[in-house]
Amino acid sequence: MQPIIPDTLEGALILSLIDFVGSFFIIAAIGVVLAGFPLIGRIAARFEKRAPAAPAAPAATEDAPQDDGELVAVLAAAAHATLGRPVRIVRIEPTNVGDAWAAEGRLAHHGSHQPGRGRG
Amino acid sequence: MIEQFGLFFQALLAQTGAVHLSWGNVVMILVGATMVWLAIAKHYEPLLLVGIGFSCIVANVPGPPDDVPGGQAISALLYVVKEGGLFHYAYEGVAKLIIPPLIFLGVGAMTDFGPMIANPRLVILGAGAHLGIFVALILAKLCGFTLAEAGAIGIIGGADGPMAIFVTMKLAPHLLGPISVAAYSYMALMPLIQPPVMRLLTTKAERQITMKQLRTVSKAEKIAFPIVIAVIVNLFFPPVAPLITMLMLGNLLKECGVTERLAKTAAGGLMNVIVLVLTVAIGSTMAADKFLNWNTLLIVLLGLVAFVFGTASGVITAKVMNLFLKDKINPLIGSAGIASVPIAARVSHIVANQENPKNFLIYHAMGPNLAGVFGTAISGGILLALLGAG
Repeated sequence: MQPIIPDTLEGALILSLIDFVGSFFIIAAIGVVLAGFPLIGRIAARFEKRAPAAPAAPAATEDAPQDDGELVAVLAAAAHATLGRPVRIVRIEPTNVGDAWAAEGRLAHHGSHQPGRGRG
Repeated sequence: MIEQFGLFFQALLAQTGAVHLSWGNVVMILVGATMVWLAIAKHYEPLLLVGIGFSCIVANVPGPPDDVPGGQAISALLYVVKEGGLFHYAYEGVAKLIIPPLIFLGVGAMTDFGPMIANPRLVILGAGAHLGIFVALILAKLCGFTLAEAGAIGIIGGADGPMAIFVTMKLAPHLLGPISVAAYSYMALMPLIQPPVMRLLTTKAERQITMKQLRTVSKAEKIAFPIVIAVIVNLFFPPVAPLITMLMLGNLLKECGVTERLAKTAAGGLMNVIVLVLTVAIGSTMAADKFLNWNTLLIVLLGLVAFVFGTASGVITAKVMNLFLKDKINPLIGSAGIASVPIAARVSHIVANQENPKNFLIYHAMGPNLAGVFGTAISGGILLALLGAG
């Protein structure tokens, strides 16, 4: 492709003028197109309202992994209801882990400083 | 015996590059070291300047003379470039215009165009802040560059690295080194270049203007945006379509919500690989014999002029807009229209925040900042079309 603008200072001035003014008009045109974009949002919102409700998500099964925070909250609430006083869950682990001697030792250790009861 | 030892030592030394080290090499090694220092100590564009600075240093450590007896001593890095090794292909990626569109893909996947869609009036600042391109172009022509070279130099003022590389490779590929270095260096130095110009052209009251919160842009709008823009650019600006199309594809991957993996790769791993290749390719063009001349110095100076005029014209455009707008805009966001996402927007925000600590302009400034990318692309597209390089 041959250059349309001559390689002179005058050419540089013409090129700059065309390019600067042209850029203004073109970007303004893009602005006009963007000004119509809220319409797209409104149309999409209308379609979403008309669309049938999505099937409900399957309920969590007992096997499904649960959030630790939620589990701690449930256990704390259950213990509170049973014992009648607030408790703090320090650790959760399956009952079949560890041996009886270690469990006895941990029980004695925990019992010695009563975790969950602040001094102040 | 001692004489023989001396002869052996001399022969050994001649096989190394040490005897061929010129003052030009030393200057360029210092330039490279300064870039690495700026990146590490000042945090100026570290992702770019570390790679460019390091390969600039290595490109200026002379190796043994070329295969021709008495030939020029070139560095190991440039040997590899010449012999078709890794850096040769890194440079080819830039020369064949593969790297810049891939960078735009990653940029698109990282960018939220919401602020630009939310306030379409401000896109005009993306054109207003590009006067610098044309001031530099005319000055370059006055300095004796050809019109194609002047166009490539002018595009430094677009403050968009990949676009500067793209236009330069089409108009004046021999100027890739100085132009890309000037563009990236000034983008890194924007927090120093822009604030004095912005303060000079605004009053304290103007700098304290707060702006209304923008509307929320829906997901449907964000999905439609890249498609609409890609169609417009491909229809009307084929010369720069490869860049903007990839920018929009990256953005669609981000916004559509079903290609999270691809968006993550484009914005993360792929982007990092491309940046590594790009920085090494640019740094390897900075050998003293090609880089250290008056033209480079002129290009660097003209780049600075382009950035200063671009910043000024953006602020002035915003002030002119205020004459017609009911809800006044803070003219500091005008300078963000220069592009250089998101550095220029951050500068606007910081300067406004210094005047009024309760004023948070960043979201408002991102609109013109993103429009600036399109402004540079449009200016570059028109340049390429009129100069016959489209």
